[in-house]
Amino acid sequence: MDTMLEATGIGKRYEDFTLRDVSLGVRRGAITGVFGPNGAGKSTLIKVLACQVPAGAGTVRVFGLPCAGRDAAIRNRIGYVPQEPVFYMDKTVQWNTRFAAAYFAEWDGGEFYRLLDRFKVNPLKAVKHLSGGQKKLLALAMALSHRPDLLILDEPAAGLDVLHRRALLDRLRAFVADGDRAVVVASHITDGLDEIAEDVSFLHEGRVILHDDRDDLLSRWKWILYAEGARDPTVEDGLTDVRRQPYGNRGLTADFPAIRESIAPALASGDVRVENASLEDILIALVKEA
Amino acid sequence: MDPILRRSSFYYMTTFVIFNGILGRFLGRDPWPAFEAIPLLMPVYLMSAVLFSEAGESYAFLRTLPVRDGRIVGTKFALIGLSTTLYWIGMMTIALGRMDEGVSSPSTLVYVTIVCAGGLLLASGLQLAIWSFGRAKVVGPAVVIGGLNLVLVIVHTASLRRTPDWPVFAHTWPIDWMGRMPWLSVPALTALAAIAAVWLMRVGVRVKEHSEAAL
Repeated sequence: MDTMLEATGIGKRYEDFTLRDVSLGVRRGAITGVFGPNGAGKSTLIKVLACQVPAGAGTVRVFGLPCAGRDAAIRNRIGYVPQEPVFYMDKTVQWNTRFAAAYFAEWDGGEFYRLLDRFKVNPLKAVKHLSGGQKKLLALAMALSHRPDLLILDEPAAGLDVLHRRALLDRLRAFVADGDRAVVVASHITDGLDEIAEDVSFLHEGRVILHDDRDDLLSRWKWILYAEGARDPTVEDGLTDVRRQPYGNRGLTADFPAIRESIAPALASGDVRVENASLEDILIALVKEA
Repeated sequence: MDPILRRSSFYYMTTFVIFNGILGRFLGRDPWPAFEAIPLLMPVYLMSAVLFSEAGESYAFLRTLPVRDGRIVGTKFALIGLSTTLYWIGMMTIALGRMDEGVSSPSTLVYVTIVCAGGLLLASGLQLAIWSFGRAKVVGPAVVIGGLNLVLVIVHTASLRRTPDWPVFAHTWPIDWMGRMPWLSVPALTALAAIAAVWLMRVGVRVKEHSEAAL
């Protein structure tokens, strides 16, 4: 596996929050999603991965280089969009752009202004007068315009309308399409970014509770639906997040291939049905278990 | 020109022009107490410049750019050092020019150098404190220090005129003693201040790299 970013045993302690022993790898050509509930530590982890703040423990290597001491060189190749975009707020978009462009080794001004045009961000406006979503889009345009090899985005879809959210997803897919670049994105699952993440990390209370390939994950986690009256008592074995409902029960299995044979007769008789689980379902089940 | 330097230098230059535009003429025109009082305002001037420059600073934005912390720290300290040097050169030039009138003396040169060195170190400390604790937490104490500095200037100036035997700082014994050899003491004091400022700058790089308070 060609790894662009490798975090090993990351720890970070704040007064009211601790990130513990987080390890994570980001493959070249892949979109890695870091998902979790509020306060799980996504933003802290993203800041550490983007060499924005030093890790309290463990190591982060980006492009094979350690963050410590090489952070400026690494940031030249990273496009980073923080949860709350930061600029010189009193200055115009154009002023901020010129300021930033002076420091990057490469800067594609044509691409930047095309993106601003597409995102409907006025370059002559003071940043403080942009909406939250526009600030996000401006940060994204800046992050893309210095031709980074790795995009690290924290809640990039927050505050975006559906059209811009769709444009963002398309843009991220296109970014990794040539297989040479990668994306790490932290998000609440509900914003559609789970659709495009190929590798998935679930974070809860400062720990990674699961890191896996998305397709493998979804092939293993399934909803098992069964009628109350015709229930085979063995069907419920190993199910989590069981929900008893008047029109039939459902439970989540974390290992569908393992139970496929045992429930085959019930499946054939129609007493049991199988439905795909979403990443949101899996995250909820894991958080409940944790 | 480096964008960080260009942006910050605007605030330093503005403060320099306003401050010296108002006060500089007193040095060139007024009798000797002006050389006692006006140099004492130097720490207030420099701390104002630091606070003014830091008010709109966006270190979190800079952190997203490929800029080393050492470069940021170096730029900020260079501005503090340059402002101090300009202020010091201005006062020294006027003091030298008015020596024939008896308004200033060799010990005035030492006094001006000591006050400028104090201002330099105070402003450097303020800059470090901003990186360590964040501007919001530092503004209050900095305003109090600046206020005390102003009170000192006012009380000192008023007492020089009204109270007999009130001590003249420029003629306290260590300054008078150093004033006997200004060609030695002024460069020595300047070198000591520069060494201390460079040491603070190095501390500043470590503080800036590890602190998240200003982000």
